[in-house]
Formats: sequence, C-alpha cells, structure tokens
Amino acid sequence: MIKLKDVRKTFNSGKPNEFVAVEKLSLSLDAEKTTVLMGPSGSGKTTLLSLIGCMARPTSGRIWLSGKEITSLPERFLTELRRTTFGFVFQHLNLIKGITALENTMLPSYPLGEKHAALKKRGMELFTRFGIASKANEKTESLSGGEAQRVAIVRALMNNPSVIIADEPTAHLDTRLSGELLEIFSRLKDEGRTLLISSHDPMVCQSVLVDRVINIRDGKIEEERS
Amino acid sequence: MIFHPTILALFTGSIIVSFMILYSASYAVQILRKWDLKSGSELQLVLERKTYLISTLLAYAFVFQLLSFFLFIFSADQLHTFFVGAMCAAGSLYVNSYGYPTLIFKLVNFLLAGVWLIFNRVDNTGYDYPLIKKKYWFFMLLVPLILFETWLQGNYFLRLNPDIITSCCGTLFSADSNPVASELSSISSINFIMIFFYATVSLAVISGVIFFLKGKGAGFFSGVSILAFITSAVSIFSFISLYIYEMPTHHCPFCMLQQEYGYIGYPLYLTLLGGTILGTSVGILSPFKKIESLSRTLPSLLRKLALVSAGLFFAFLCIVTIRILLSNLILNG
Repeated sequence: MIKLKDVRKTFNSGKPNEFVAVEKLSLSLDAEKTTVLMGPSGSGKTTLLSLIGCMARPTSGRIWLSGKEITSLPERFLTELRRTTFGFVFQHLNLIKGITALENTMLPSYPLGEKHAALKKRGMELFTRFGIASKANEKTESLSGGEAQRVAIVRALMNNPSVIIADEPTAHLDTRLSGELLEIFSRLKDEGRTLLISSHDPMVCQSVLVDRVINIRDGKIEEERS
Repeated sequence: MIFHPTILALFTGSIIVSFMILYSASYAVQILRKWDLKSGSELQLVLERKTYLISTLLAYAFVFQLLSFFLFIFSADQLHTFFVGAMCAAGSLYVNSYGYPTLIFKLVNFLLAGVWLIFNRVDNTGYDYPLIKKKYWFFMLLVPLILFETWLQGNYFLRLNPDIITSCCGTLFSADSNPVASELSSISSINFIMIFFYATVSLAVISGVIFFLKGKGAGFFSGVSILAFITSAVSIFSFISLYIYEMPTHHCPFCMLQQEYGYIGYPLYLTLLGGTILGTSVGILSPFKKIESLSRTLPSLLRKLALVSAGLFFAFLCIVTIRILLSNLILNG
C-alpha cells in the first residue's frame, strides 16, 4: 500500500548544520497491517512518519500510496490526500487549548465542507465509542492524559482515514493507559485500517497487534522483524 | 515628465516585471531541460517545488501586464496636454518613434499574457503538472516580447520632448492620411464592414453558447473569436468611432477613452479583449481534454470560459449597438 524508494530527507541542506534525518530509505508497507518504527530519539522515526503522511516532502526519492506516486503531487492535492487518507496522532497530541474536546475533533473536517450538525453527530458517535462522551464539551486543558489521548485519536478518525499514523503514542501514558490505547489500536486494525506507529516502548513493539517492527538508526533501516 | 505618477508606475512596474521574468526564465530553462516526473532526484523535487513559486510570480507579472496595457493608454491620454498639437493619446504616442511600437507590443503581450494565465490555471488543476513544458515554452516565447516592450516603453518615456509639435488624431486617422484609412471609411465599405461586424461578433456569441451547451466546436469558436476581434478592431476605426463622436470624419480609437465620451472606450476594449483572450484559450486548450489528470476538470472549465467569452462579446455588441442607436449621427439616412 505504501512504498518508499530511495527516500532522503535533509534539513538545512548546504549549511554547516546540515542534518540527514532519513538516508536513502526504501520500504514497503502492506495495507491493513500494523507496523512499528522503533529507534532511539533522533533516529528519523518522526521524520519518516511525516514523509509518509505527506506532512513533509523528501529531499529526494519517491513515495507511492496505493500505486499512486504522491511526492510530486502539487500542494493542493497533497492537502486533500492528507485530509482524507491519513489520521495523525501526534506525540504531544497538539490539541488546541481554549476550545472543547468536541470542537478540537471537528476542526480537521471543516475544510471538507460538511455541515456542522453532521460533524457534531459523527464526533459524538466517536466520543461514545471511545468512552469519553461525558468529556466532549470540556475544554482540553481539563482532560487527563488518557482522555486527551483518546480525544486525539477521535480527531484522527474524524475523516475516516485508511491510515493511522501515531507518533510515540504511549510516551506520556502509564502502563494501564498504554494497555487501553493498544486495545483501541487493535479495534482500529480490525476495522481494516493500516497503522503506522513510531515507538521505543517495548509494550507497543511486543504487542500482538503489531505485524512488523522496523528498527531505525541514523535514518536507515537497521533491522526488521515480523 | 518622467515624474508623472502613471509614468512612474508603469516604468517601475515594467522594470520589476522584467526582473521577475528574467528570474523565472532561468528556472524555466531548467524545467524545460531537466524536468522528469519519473525521476526522484533532488533537482527534480526542487523543480517541482519551485514551479509553484515561479508560476505564482509569473501570474502576478502577467496580471500587471494586463493592467499596464490600459494604464499605458491612460498615461498616453493624460500626457496629451504637454504636447502642442496632441488632442488625445494618438498625438502623445506620435511624439517619438517608440510610442506606437510600444502600444502594439503592449497589445500583443496583453493577449498572450491573458492566454498564458489561463494556461497556467489549467495546468494547476492537474495533479501531475500536465501542461508544464508547454506552459514554459509559451512563457519563453513571451520573455523576449515583454523585455522588448519594456525597452520600447522606457525609450518612449525617456524621449518625450515637450518641444516637439505632434499631430492630432484628426490628422493621424483621417481618410486622407492613407489609402487604407480612406477605403475603410467610405460609406460603401462601412455598410459592408458593419454587416460583417455584426455577423462575426454574433457568430462568436452563438458559437460560444453552443460550445457551453454541447461542448463541441472549440476550434470553430476560437477561430471566430479571433475573426471577431479583427473585425471589431477595423469596425472601431471604420464606423463605431463615428457614432461615438457623432462626427462623420473622426476615426480616432483613443478619444473615446476620455471623460468627454464617458470613458466608453474602456468597457469597449475590455469586453473585446477579454472575449478574445477567453475565446482563443478555449480552442488552444481543448486538445488537452484527453489528458487523464485534466479529463475531469478541463471540459467544465472550457465551457465556463466559453460562456464568459460569449458574454463579453455580447456585452461588447450591446455597448456598440446602444451607442449607435442613441447617437445623433445618421450614416445611412
């Protein structure tokens, strides 16, 4: 489903502080499978997730999604693809303070032109499904870590994406909440979604829901196991 | 005189546009030589990103190009008070040998820049840069024309000498001044030109509407649009001007831009040029409907262009007809 060929990402290209985050990486990810990118901080996991999720463009190399080359897509098409195909769960969740949890989850869907009432209904359905319906109208700053994490997942699911990208999702959760999160991911996998998770948490990497673990170091694939 | 606000605006604008075009041309050459969508090389990815910047820059440059045509005519018209003998832009442009060539280049570049902007718009609707090479080849054709126009315009403004006694439009566009003008302004020719004018412009309107409704006949519509433009340009000189000025001998295409005539020249030229640019674009772009990434969007865009073009030609026809009907001049008693 997702294919990368010779993908390279350099920051500050040509400057003294040039940094190669991803180095000539080739990779194929199957649909409806869960893949974990594992590696120490600075190994290029987040950059790789950003490249796959069309949040960043590679310096060189190409990426295909369902057979369609996406790195050359003009920004307008890329935005559309990002909105409809990928759901992101960011490491620091990136929930907006000052607005309610439900409003946070509705935000990514507004550009698609759906009516407010329909979005609200869908948002509430997802809140109910993830057991946080009572928190829908609370401001995000008043939510606990686990609740905020679920809100971030609801937001990622609002546009019904086929690929969920989660960056270090258990980084700020205790063991119990991490377990609950993996259960949610397991349900998402059962729905036929492709999951791409970056993590160095052994609990995630050893989970039964994971089909493949790819070890990344210095922007290159060091080893992988299924 | 060079410190006249409109001259300064044109002068500065044209120099900035020329620099933008030269900057863009360097990338255009790279795109034309190195563009390969199949390659994932660093250069290719840089070019893919740069083409956004370049096409945005060019869009601004060419919009200025469109505006500068009217600003130039307006400036030339404003300047006539500085020259003995000049009554309108016709006299100001005749002050030195650069005036009329500048106007001609501005007109040609106006039409080409308009078509390029539509070309660019269509290219941007495709996900795989479907017209990129054609777009930049077209741009490269425009580069020397616009640079030459800037040079001509600079020379025209810098060589304006208020001591020169120029000719007025009455002399420049009189039937006695040259045999072609004489032929175009004879009553028998006027009758023929008027029939031909109404036939071609009406045909442009009808074929535009037919294309909008059925999506067929793009080439025919474009051809008729160009023909309508030429016929209209001749007609403005031959008989439309006479009705506007209500004088049987005054053929000036510039006086109608003055307040005295309600600035009627501006809507007249705007509708005609707009209709021509859009109409021509329909025929030029029609063959690209088969490109996969354009097959969904281009047909509907072409139909809209045809409808707007037909609307503009119709508006032009209405302005002319109303003016003729309301005029105190009766040519065919």
